[in-house]
Amino acid sequence: MSNSVAIAAVSELKPARYPDLDGYDLYLEVVRQFLAEWSLKPGDIQGLLACPSGMAGGGSSDIFVHEQLYEELGIHPLFADTMNAGGSTYGLMVQRAALAIRQGLADSVLCLGAGKFPKVSAGGAETMARMVSHEIYEFPYGTFIPAIYAQVATRHMHEFGTTAEQYAAVAVSSREWALKNPDAATYGSEPLTVAKVRESRPIATPFHLYDCSIPLEGGAAVLVTSETVAKRLNSQPAWLLGMGEYHNHRNIHQAPSLTDIGCNKAARLAYQSAGLTPKDIDFAQIYDAFSVNPLVFMEELELCPKGKGGEFFESGASAPGGDFPVNTYGGLLSFGHTGDASGMSMIVEGARQVMGISGERQLSAKGANIGIVHSYGGMMSEHSTLILGRES
Amino acid sequence: MSENNAVEKPQPKITRCAQPYWQSCLQEKLSLPYCKACDAVFYYPRLWCPGCFNQDLDWKTVSGRGRVYSYSVVHQSPLPSYQQDVPYVLAVIELEEGPRMMTNVINCDVDAVHVDMPVAVTFEQRGDMKIPQFQPV
Repeated sequence: MSNSVAIAAVSELKPARYPDLDGYDLYLEVVRQFLAEWSLKPGDIQGLLACPSGMAGGGSSDIFVHEQLYEELGIHPLFADTMNAGGSTYGLMVQRAALAIRQGLADSVLCLGAGKFPKVSAGGAETMARMVSHEIYEFPYGTFIPAIYAQVATRHMHEFGTTAEQYAAVAVSSREWALKNPDAATYGSEPLTVAKVRESRPIATPFHLYDCSIPLEGGAAVLVTSETVAKRLNSQPAWLLGMGEYHNHRNIHQAPSLTDIGCNKAARLAYQSAGLTPKDIDFAQIYDAFSVNPLVFMEELELCPKGKGGEFFESGASAPGGDFPVNTYGGLLSFGHTGDASGMSMIVEGARQVMGISGERQLSAKGANIGIVHSYGGMMSEHSTLILGRES
Repeated sequence: MSENNAVEKPQPKITRCAQPYWQSCLQEKLSLPYCKACDAVFYYPRLWCPGCFNQDLDWKTVSGRGRVYSYSVVHQSPLPSYQQDVPYVLAVIELEEGPRMMTNVINCDVDAVHVDMPVAVTFEQRGDMKIPQFQPV
């Protein structure tokens, strides 16, 4: 029996506001679009993983959402669960699905996410701050998500001389990619410049408005399968070559280091399991709630030297036409951040690039041979690294 | 804004294992849990030592001095109780004894705050509690 596992099919809703759809309606729309885009039969889905749309629903009444979804699909899975690890949920779903498939529990597992972003102005930001910082030892100090991420950004500036302009360069690169992606929220808008980012309104130093992702709603589906099913469903699946996870902290002040935040530990496990090195990687899709993330994670993924992430983005290497494309769909910064489902977007794009179906922004066959997808949950708390490739 | 100004800042919940911590705060002393097996202080209070799982713990009053490990100047706060303070500093400080704490850096110009800035604990009255805050030395 082959141990190869692949992402055989992906689908993602366009990030937008969907006022007529609640969290569960969004899930159904994700499944409907997925089934419309790929010709699957009920037997093709043997497992199902879903995430409670807790932020979206304003509660956790849907902690059993996987049960409702598999019933609605009309299937009786051999493997199913509702799980949540914030933005790393879907990376970890792919990993859990791969383990189940390799163990022979199921031949295919459908990973699903749907999310809404609480309105920042309607107490939503306070709800989120409560959710992601320690209720007793952090929240009473006026925690605010951008200001928590900023702790990592400020420390990196101190240790390595990184500048606010270099963080802004990440947002500029993402916008260039988004202008090539009709599904991106900023498609058709003006290009960004470092000056425009720095002139946008200050949020929490060093971040200005355009250093922050765009809060929207959406969702996606990723079908993880065995080799046999992958080859039947897709002439070019995205083979899962390696994977790693690491859970570093919950609260940012407890992170042992702010310049080694856990990403590297997951990445090393992924490289090891793939038998690959950073030199083998052609492109990266990196979770980017804020501009700081791709910059510091390029270093932690060992795709550029420690302390050189700023120079990397400043050079334009990550942008269209550059040597090492990053976030080719526009990133959460310019594609849009779909709340609880945001951790799907970089997996969907990583798989699409490897499958060769990324449209105008598609990288060359040689430039999309092997890609790395890194996502994290919480305040850079827990990490998932996937390595996807054209050949199993 | 007057409505927002009326909103009280959050008062931390006092958990069972943290009662001595908050009692020391009332006396304007910073006391951290101390592991008798590791001979080390840690933060935040827990029922066991996160270094060795030992549950035979004591308390140690620490210097209250430390340095700014990282920080951000918050210009736009969605938290009603903090909106009146904008711009304010959210920081992680590293105590001389090692542990790091989240705090505000107060009683100074926000633009003067920098990484490695020496700071010392002070206490802010919140209702019937006092919570540790840090200010430049």
